[in-house]
Amino acid sequence: MPFRLRLIRTLRRWHARIGFAALIFFMLIAVTGVALNHGAVVGLDSRQGHSKWLARWYGLRHEEPRQAYRTASHLLVAANGRWLLDGSAVGEKMPRPLGLVEIGDLIVVGGESSLHVYRADGALIDRLESYALPRVPLKAIGAGEGELVVQTAARSFSSADVLNWRLGAPKVVAWSTPTPLAESDREAYAQRLAPGISFQRLLLDLHSGRFLGSLGPLFFDLVAIFLTILALSGAWMFLAPRLRR
Amino acid sequence: MRPCLIAFVLGLCAAAQALGEVYQAPEAFVTEVFGTLPAPRVLWLSREMQAQASAILNHPPAVLRQRYWSDGAKSVWILEEIGKEELITAGFVVSQGHIDHVRVLAYRESRGQEVRDPSFLKQFSGAGLDQSDHLDRGIDGISGATLSVHAMERMARLALYFDRRSRD
Repeated sequence: MPFRLRLIRTLRRWHARIGFAALIFFMLIAVTGVALNHGAVVGLDSRQGHSKWLARWYGLRHEEPRQAYRTASHLLVAANGRWLLDGSAVGEKMPRPLGLVEIGDLIVVGGESSLHVYRADGALIDRLESYALPRVPLKAIGAGEGELVVQTAARSFSSADVLNWRLGAPKVVAWSTPTPLAESDREAYAQRLAPGISFQRLLLDLHSGRFLGSLGPLFFDLVAIFLTILALSGAWMFLAPRLRR
Repeated sequence: MRPCLIAFVLGLCAAAQALGEVYQAPEAFVTEVFGTLPAPRVLWLSREMQAQASAILNHPPAVLRQRYWSDGAKSVWILEEIGKEELITAGFVVSQGHIDHVRVLAYRESRGQEVRDPSFLKQFSGAGLDQSDHLDRGIDGISGATLSVHAMERMARLALYFDRRSRD
Protein backbone atom coordinates (compact mmCIF):
# COMPACT_ATOMS: atom_id res chain seq x y z
CA MET A 1 0.00 0.00 0.00
CA PRO A 2 1.43 3.41 -0.92
CA PHE A 3 2.71 5.54 1.97
CA ARG A 4 0.33 8.41 1.17
CA LEU A 5 -2.71 6.12 1.35
CA ARG A 6 -1.51 4.61 4.64
CA LEU A 7 -0.98 8.11 6.04
CA ILE A 8 -4.49 9.21 5.09
CA ARG A 9 -6.01 6.04 6.57
CA THR A 10 -4.09 6.54 9.79
CA LEU A 11 -5.05 10.19 9.92
CA ARG A 12 -8.70 9.33 9.31
CA ARG A 13 -8.63 6.68 12.04
CA TRP A 14 -7.08 9.05 14.58
CA HIS A 15 -9.29 11.91 13.47
CA ALA A 16 -12.31 9.76 14.30
CA ARG A 17 -10.88 8.52 17.59
CA ILE A 18 -9.89 11.97 18.85
CA GLY A 19 -13.17 13.46 17.70
CA PHE A 20 -15.17 10.80 19.50
CA ALA A 21 -13.06 10.93 22.68
CA ALA A 22 -13.33 14.70 22.94
CA LEU A 23 -16.96 14.93 21.83
CA ILE A 24 -18.36 15.61 25.30
CA PHE A 25 -15.79 18.32 26.01
CA PHE A 26 -16.27 19.99 22.62
CA MET A 27 -20.00 20.04 23.25
CA LEU A 28 -19.41 21.44 26.73
CA ILE A 29 -17.11 24.19 25.44
CA ALA A 30 -19.52 25.04 22.61
CA VAL A 31 -22.65 25.13 24.78
CA THR A 32 -21.05 27.11 27.61
CA GLY A 33 -19.44 29.49 25.08
CA VAL A 34 -22.78 30.25 23.47
CA ALA A 35 -24.42 30.62 26.89
CA LEU A 36 -21.68 33.02 28.03
CA ASN A 37 -22.05 35.11 24.88
CA HIS A 38 -25.78 35.47 25.28
CA GLY A 39 -26.23 34.87 29.01
CA ALA A 40 -26.89 38.51 29.81
CA VAL A 41 -29.93 38.52 27.51
CA VAL A 42 -31.64 35.76 29.49
CA GLY A 43 -30.37 37.06 32.81
CA LEU A 44 -27.90 34.27 33.54
CA ASP A 45 -25.44 36.81 34.93
CA SER A 46 -27.79 37.79 37.73
CA ARG A 47 -29.00 34.30 38.67
CA GLN A 48 -27.46 32.06 41.26
CA GLY A 49 -27.38 28.33 41.68
CA HIS A 50 -27.86 27.04 45.22
CA SER A 51 -26.81 23.65 46.35
CA LYS A 52 -24.91 22.31 49.30
CA TRP A 53 -22.65 20.11 47.16
CA LEU A 54 -21.88 23.02 44.83
CA ALA A 55 -20.98 25.17 47.83
CA ARG A 56 -18.76 22.36 49.15
CA TRP A 57 -17.15 21.95 45.71
CA TYR A 58 -16.29 25.64 45.65
CA GLY A 59 -15.10 25.55 49.25
CA LEU A 60 -17.68 28.11 50.38
CA ARG A 61 -18.23 28.37 54.09
CA HIS A 62 -21.67 27.01 54.81
CA GLU A 63 -23.47 28.60 57.71
CA GLU A 64 -26.25 26.55 59.28
CA PRO A 65 -29.36 28.57 60.16
CA ARG A 66 -29.93 28.30 63.89
CA GLN A 67 -32.39 31.07 64.69
CA ALA A 68 -35.38 32.88 63.28
CA TYR A 69 -37.08 36.24 63.72
CA ARG A 70 -40.83 36.14 64.16
CA THR A 71 -43.73 38.56 64.24
CA ALA A 72 -47.38 37.64 64.74
CA SER A 73 -47.72 36.56 61.11
CA HIS A 74 -44.26 36.55 59.55
CA LEU A 75 -41.07 34.53 59.85
CA LEU A 76 -37.54 35.33 58.72
CA VAL A 77 -34.70 32.81 58.59
CA ALA A 78 -31.27 33.88 57.34
CA ALA A 79 -27.94 32.25 56.58
CA ASN A 80 -25.14 32.58 54.03
CA GLY A 81 -26.24 36.08 53.03
CA ARG A 82 -29.69 34.84 52.06
CA TRP A 83 -33.07 35.50 53.60
CA LEU A 84 -36.21 33.40 53.59
CA LEU A 85 -39.18 35.59 54.43
CA ASP A 86 -42.26 33.45 55.05
CA GLY A 87 -40.55 30.67 53.14
CA SER A 88 -39.70 32.71 50.05
CA ALA A 89 -36.19 33.78 49.10
CA VAL A 90 -36.09 37.57 48.98
CA GLY A 91 -32.59 38.31 47.80
CA GLU A 92 -28.91 37.52 47.51
CA LYS A 93 -25.94 39.09 49.29
CA MET A 94 -28.16 40.26 52.12
CA PRO A 95 -26.76 41.55 55.40
CA ARG A 96 -27.06 39.68 58.66
CA PRO A 97 -30.50 40.59 60.05
CA LEU A 98 -30.94 42.30 63.41
CA GLY A 99 -34.65 41.94 63.63
CA LEU A 100 -38.05 41.66 61.97
CA VAL A 101 -40.84 44.13 62.68
CA GLU A 102 -44.37 44.53 61.38
CA ILE A 103 -45.91 47.99 61.23
CA GLY A 104 -49.33 48.11 59.66
CA ASP A 105 -48.93 46.70 56.15
CA LEU A 106 -45.16 46.99 56.19
CA ILE A 107 -42.68 44.30 57.14
CA VAL A 108 -39.27 45.69 58.05
CA VAL A 109 -36.08 43.69 58.25
CA GLY A 110 -33.22 45.52 59.91
CA GLY A 111 -29.52 45.03 59.30
CA GLU A 112 -26.59 46.81 60.85
CA SER A 113 -26.61 49.54 58.21
CA SER A 114 -29.78 49.02 56.21
CA LEU A 115 -33.51 48.46 56.43
CA HIS A 116 -35.47 46.40 53.94
CA VAL A 117 -39.17 47.16 53.75
CA TYR A 118 -41.47 44.50 52.33
CA ARG A 119 -45.13 44.16 51.50
CA ALA A 120 -47.05 41.26 53.04
CA ASP A 121 -46.64 39.28 49.79
CA GLY A 122 -42.84 39.61 50.01
CA ALA A 123 -42.45 42.34 47.36
CA LEU A 124 -39.64 44.75 48.24
CA ILE A 125 -41.06 48.22 48.82
CA ASP A 126 -37.86 50.04 49.72
CA ARG A 127 -34.29 49.48 50.75
CA LEU A 128 -32.87 52.13 53.04
CA GLU A 129 -29.08 52.21 53.07
CA SER A 130 -27.05 54.02 55.71
CA TYR A 131 -27.55 57.44 54.13
CA ALA A 132 -31.32 57.12 54.56
CA LEU A 133 -31.05 56.12 58.21
CA PRO A 134 -30.73 58.53 61.14
CA ARG A 135 -27.55 56.84 62.44
CA VAL A 136 -25.59 53.67 61.84
CA PRO A 137 -24.75 51.09 62.94
CA LEU A 138 -28.12 49.94 64.12
CA LYS A 139 -28.10 47.81 67.26
CA ALA A 140 -31.72 46.68 67.33
CA ILE A 141 -35.10 47.34 65.78
CA GLY A 142 -38.52 47.16 67.34
CA ALA A 143 -42.06 48.49 67.19
CA GLY A 144 -44.08 50.66 69.50
CA GLU A 145 -47.32 52.61 69.09
CA GLY A 146 -47.41 51.88 65.38
CA GLU A 147 -43.92 53.19 64.77
CA LEU A 148 -40.69 51.52 63.76
CA VAL A 149 -37.98 52.13 66.34
CA VAL A 150 -34.26 51.74 65.66
CA GLN A 151 -31.70 51.66 68.42
CA THR A 152 -28.22 53.01 67.68
CA ALA A 153 -25.23 53.10 70.01
CA ALA A 154 -26.40 56.21 71.83
CA ARG A 155 -29.97 56.98 70.82
CA SER A 156 -33.26 55.67 69.55
CA PHE A 157 -35.15 57.00 66.55
CA SER A 158 -38.72 56.38 65.47
CA SER A 159 -40.55 56.50 62.17
CA ALA A 160 -44.13 55.83 61.19
CA ASP A 161 -43.41 55.63 57.45
CA VAL A 162 -39.86 54.24 57.49
CA LEU A 163 -38.81 57.39 55.72
CA ASN A 164 -38.86 60.38 58.07
CA TRP A 165 -37.29 59.95 61.49
CA ARG A 166 -37.73 61.60 64.85
CA LEU A 167 -35.39 61.39 67.80
CA GLY A 168 -36.74 59.27 70.64
CA ALA A 169 -38.89 56.21 71.06
CA PRO A 170 -42.37 55.42 72.34
CA LYS A 171 -42.59 54.45 76.01
CA VAL A 172 -43.16 50.82 75.25
CA VAL A 173 -41.13 49.18 72.51
CA ALA A 174 -41.24 45.52 71.56
CA TRP A 175 -37.67 44.84 70.38
CA SER A 176 -37.23 42.10 67.85
CA THR A 177 -35.12 39.24 69.16
CA PRO A 178 -34.21 35.94 67.54
CA THR A 179 -35.70 32.66 68.66
CA PRO A 180 -33.98 29.29 68.16
CA LEU A 181 -35.02 27.19 65.20
CA ALA A 182 -36.35 23.74 65.95
CA GLU A 183 -33.73 21.07 65.29
CA SER A 184 -36.09 19.40 62.82
CA ASP A 185 -36.41 22.60 60.77
CA ARG A 186 -32.71 23.38 60.54
CA GLU A 187 -31.83 20.88 57.82
CA ALA A 188 -34.73 21.98 55.60
CA TYR A 189 -33.75 25.64 55.96
CA ALA A 190 -30.06 24.80 55.46
CA GLN A 191 -30.93 23.23 52.09
CA ARG A 192 -32.90 26.27 51.01
CA LEU A 193 -30.32 28.75 52.28
CA ALA A 194 -27.27 27.08 50.76
CA PRO A 195 -24.70 29.60 49.49
CA GLY A 196 -25.09 30.63 45.88
CA ILE A 197 -22.77 30.54 42.89
CA SER A 198 -23.62 32.81 39.99
CA PHE A 199 -24.46 30.96 36.79
CA GLN A 200 -22.07 33.29 35.00
CA ARG A 201 -19.19 32.07 37.14
CA LEU A 202 -20.31 28.46 36.85
CA LEU A 203 -20.39 28.74 33.06
CA LEU A 204 -17.00 30.44 32.96
CA ASP A 205 -15.48 27.73 35.14
CA LEU A 206 -17.06 24.97 33.05
CA HIS A 207 -15.85 26.67 29.87
CA SER A 208 -12.27 27.11 31.09
CA GLY A 209 -12.03 23.82 32.98
CA ARG A 210 -11.52 25.55 36.34
CA PHE A 211 -14.61 23.76 37.62
CA LEU A 212 -12.44 20.63 37.79
CA GLY A 213 -9.90 22.30 40.02
CA SER A 214 -6.31 23.34 39.42
CA LEU A 215 -5.68 20.60 36.83
CA GLY A 216 -8.88 21.46 34.92
CA PRO A 217 -7.35 24.22 32.77
CA LEU A 218 -4.44 21.90 31.83
CA PHE A 219 -6.92 19.23 30.81
CA PHE A 220 -8.84 21.74 28.72
CA ASP A 221 -5.53 22.83 27.16
CA LEU A 222 -5.18 19.22 26.08
CA VAL A 223 -8.70 19.31 24.65
CA ALA A 224 -7.74 22.49 22.77
CA ILE A 225 -4.71 20.67 21.32
CA PHE A 226 -7.02 17.83 20.26
CA LEU A 227 -9.27 20.34 18.56
CA THR A 228 -6.28 21.80 16.72
CA ILE A 229 -5.19 18.32 15.62
CA LEU A 230 -8.72 17.62 14.42
CA ALA A 231 -8.81 20.84 12.43
CA LEU A 232 -5.40 20.20 10.86
CA SER A 233 -6.06 16.53 10.10
CA GLY A 234 -9.48 17.41 8.70
CA ALA A 235 -7.93 20.10 6.52
CA TRP A 236 -5.26 17.67 5.35
CA MET A 237 -7.81 14.99 4.46
CA PHE A 238 -9.90 17.55 2.62
CA LEU A 239 -7.08 19.26 0.74
CA ALA A 240 -4.60 16.45 0.03
CA PRO A 241 -6.66 14.62 -2.65
CA ARG A 242 -7.58 17.91 -4.28
CA LEU A 243 -3.99 19.14 -4.38
CA ARG A 244 -2.86 15.78 -5.81
CA ARG A 245 -5.37 16.11 -8.64
CA MET B 1 8.29 45.64 59.07
CA ARG B 2 7.88 44.42 55.50
CA PRO B 3 5.35 41.64 56.33
CA CYS B 4 3.29 44.20 58.28
CA LEU B 5 3.32 46.57 55.32
CA ILE B 6 2.28 43.80 52.94
CA ALA B 7 -0.49 42.71 55.31
CA PHE B 8 -1.67 46.33 55.57
CA VAL B 9 -1.76 46.76 51.77
CA LEU B 10 -3.54 43.43 51.33
CA GLY B 11 -6.04 44.47 54.00
CA LEU B 12 -6.70 47.74 52.22
CA CYS B 13 -7.21 45.90 48.92
CA ALA B 14 -9.66 43.49 50.55
CA ALA B 15 -11.57 46.36 52.14
CA ALA B 16 -11.76 48.23 48.82
CA GLN B 17 -13.00 45.07 47.12
CA ALA B 18 -15.68 44.58 49.77
CA LEU B 19 -16.93 48.15 49.62
CA GLY B 20 -16.61 48.60 45.86
CA GLU B 21 -15.49 51.97 44.62
CA VAL B 22 -17.64 54.54 46.37
CA TYR B 23 -16.75 57.96 45.00
CA GLN B 24 -19.36 60.08 46.72
CA ALA B 25 -21.97 59.32 49.35
CA PRO B 26 -25.53 59.84 48.05
CA GLU B 27 -26.36 62.32 50.83
CA ALA B 28 -23.27 64.37 49.89
CA PHE B 29 -24.43 64.45 46.27
CA VAL B 30 -27.92 65.59 47.27
CA THR B 31 -26.46 68.22 49.61
CA GLU B 32 -24.18 69.45 46.83
CA VAL B 33 -27.18 69.91 44.52
CA PHE B 34 -29.48 71.71 46.97
CA GLY B 35 -26.96 73.24 49.36
CA THR B 36 -28.69 71.37 52.17
CA LEU B 37 -30.15 67.90 52.62
CA PRO B 38 -33.92 68.24 52.14
CA ALA B 39 -36.38 65.66 53.45
CA PRO B 40 -36.84 62.84 50.96
CA ARG B 41 -40.06 62.44 49.02
CA VAL B 42 -41.41 59.19 47.68
CA LEU B 43 -42.90 58.09 44.42
CA TRP B 44 -45.06 54.99 44.83
CA LEU B 45 -44.94 52.89 41.70
CA SER B 46 -48.41 51.97 40.51
CA ARG B 47 -48.86 48.84 38.42
CA GLU B 48 -48.73 50.93 35.28
CA MET B 49 -45.54 52.65 36.42
CA GLN B 50 -44.00 49.32 37.35
CA ALA B 51 -44.79 48.05 33.86
CA GLN B 52 -43.21 51.08 32.22
CA ALA B 53 -40.19 50.93 34.53
CA SER B 54 -39.82 47.24 33.62
CA ALA B 55 -39.92 48.15 29.94
CA ILE B 56 -37.18 50.73 30.47
CA LEU B 57 -34.97 48.52 32.63
CA ASN B 58 -35.68 45.18 30.92
CA HIS B 59 -36.47 43.83 34.37
CA PRO B 60 -38.87 44.75 37.18
CA PRO B 61 -37.88 47.77 39.27
CA ALA B 62 -35.98 46.89 42.45
CA VAL B 63 -38.32 48.77 44.77
CA LEU B 64 -41.95 49.85 44.76
CA ARG B 65 -41.30 53.10 46.62
CA GLN B 66 -38.71 55.30 44.96
CA ARG B 67 -37.17 57.98 47.13
CA TYR B 68 -36.14 61.28 45.62
CA TRP B 69 -35.31 64.82 46.64
CA SER B 70 -36.81 67.93 45.12
CA ASP B 71 -37.03 71.65 45.64
CA GLY B 72 -39.80 72.03 43.10
CA ALA B 73 -37.54 73.04 40.23
CA LYS B 74 -34.96 70.30 40.38
CA SER B 75 -35.23 66.70 41.45
CA VAL B 76 -32.48 64.27 42.38
CA TRP B 77 -32.77 60.55 41.82
CA ILE B 78 -30.29 58.07 43.23
CA LEU B 79 -30.63 54.92 41.17
CA GLU B 80 -28.87 51.59 41.05
CA GLU B 81 -28.55 49.20 38.16
CA ILE B 82 -26.40 46.18 37.42
CA GLY B 83 -23.77 46.75 34.75
CA LYS B 84 -22.49 43.23 34.22
CA GLU B 85 -22.60 41.62 37.65
CA GLU B 86 -22.47 44.40 40.22
CA LEU B 87 -24.55 47.45 41.00
CA ILE B 88 -23.67 50.88 39.69
CA THR B 89 -25.02 53.71 41.85
CA ALA B 90 -25.59 56.99 40.05
CA GLY B 91 -27.14 60.33 40.92
CA PHE B 92 -29.30 62.09 38.32
CA VAL B 93 -30.34 65.73 38.60
CA VAL B 94 -33.42 66.47 36.51
CA SER B 95 -34.65 69.94 35.74
CA GLN B 96 -37.65 70.80 33.56
CA GLY B 97 -37.83 67.33 32.08
CA HIS B 98 -34.19 67.23 31.06
CA ILE B 99 -31.11 65.88 32.75
CA ASP B 100 -29.07 68.64 34.32
CA HIS B 101 -26.13 66.48 35.24
CA VAL B 102 -25.19 62.94 36.21
CA ARG B 103 -22.59 61.50 38.51
CA VAL B 104 -21.52 57.94 39.18
CA LEU B 105 -21.49 57.64 42.97
CA ALA B 106 -20.35 54.03 43.31
CA TYR B 107 -18.91 51.61 40.78
CA ARG B 108 -18.40 48.02 41.84
CA GLU B 109 -17.56 46.22 38.59
CA SER B 110 -13.95 45.25 37.96
CA ARG B 111 -13.95 46.87 34.50
CA GLY B 112 -15.75 49.72 32.80
CA GLN B 113 -14.95 52.56 35.22
CA GLU B 114 -14.74 54.84 32.18
CA VAL B 115 -18.47 55.55 32.64
CA ARG B 116 -17.37 57.82 35.50
CA ASP B 117 -15.48 60.11 33.14
CA PRO B 118 -17.00 63.59 32.86
CA SER B 119 -16.46 63.43 29.09
CA PHE B 120 -18.85 60.46 28.96
CA LEU B 121 -21.34 61.77 31.52
CA LYS B 122 -21.70 65.19 29.90
CA GLN B 123 -23.45 63.46 26.98
CA PHE B 124 -26.46 63.08 29.27
CA SER B 125 -26.69 66.79 30.08
CA GLY B 126 -29.76 68.26 28.42
CA ALA B 127 -31.14 64.86 27.42
CA GLY B 128 -34.87 64.31 27.68
CA LEU B 129 -37.29 61.56 26.74
CA ASP B 130 -38.96 61.12 23.38
CA GLN B 131 -42.52 59.87 23.04
CA SER B 132 -41.47 56.24 23.47
CA ASP B 133 -39.54 57.03 26.67
CA HIS B 134 -36.15 56.67 25.01
CA LEU B 135 -33.45 59.30 25.33
CA ASP B 136 -33.89 61.96 22.68
CA ARG B 137 -30.22 61.69 21.75
CA GLY B 138 -27.68 58.97 21.14
CA ILE B 139 -25.09 58.20 23.78
CA ASP B 140 -21.68 57.20 22.44
CA GLY B 141 -20.55 53.87 23.82
CA ILE B 142 -17.25 53.04 25.46
CA SER B 143 -15.26 50.10 24.20
CA GLY B 144 -15.02 47.52 26.99
CA ALA B 145 -17.76 49.16 29.05
CA THR B 146 -20.79 48.45 26.86
CA LEU B 147 -22.94 46.95 29.60
CA SER B 148 -22.15 49.78 32.01
CA VAL B 149 -23.01 52.34 29.33
CA HIS B 150 -26.33 50.60 28.72
CA ALA B 151 -27.00 50.55 32.47
CA MET B 152 -26.33 54.30 32.64
CA GLU B 153 -28.72 54.89 29.73
CA ARG B 154 -31.45 52.82 31.38
CA MET B 155 -31.04 54.71 34.65
CA ALA B 156 -31.14 58.06 32.83
CA ARG B 157 -34.39 57.08 31.12
CA LEU B 158 -35.82 55.89 34.42
CA ALA B 159 -34.86 59.11 36.23
CA LEU B 160 -36.55 61.18 33.52
CA TYR B 161 -39.63 58.95 33.58
CA PHE B 162 -39.88 59.07 37.37
CA ASP B 163 -39.42 62.83 37.33
CA ARG B 164 -42.27 63.21 34.85
CA ARG B 165 -44.54 60.94 36.88
CA SER B 166 -43.66 62.71 40.13
CA ARG B 167 -45.04 65.92 38.62
CA ASP B 168 -48.33 64.35 37.44
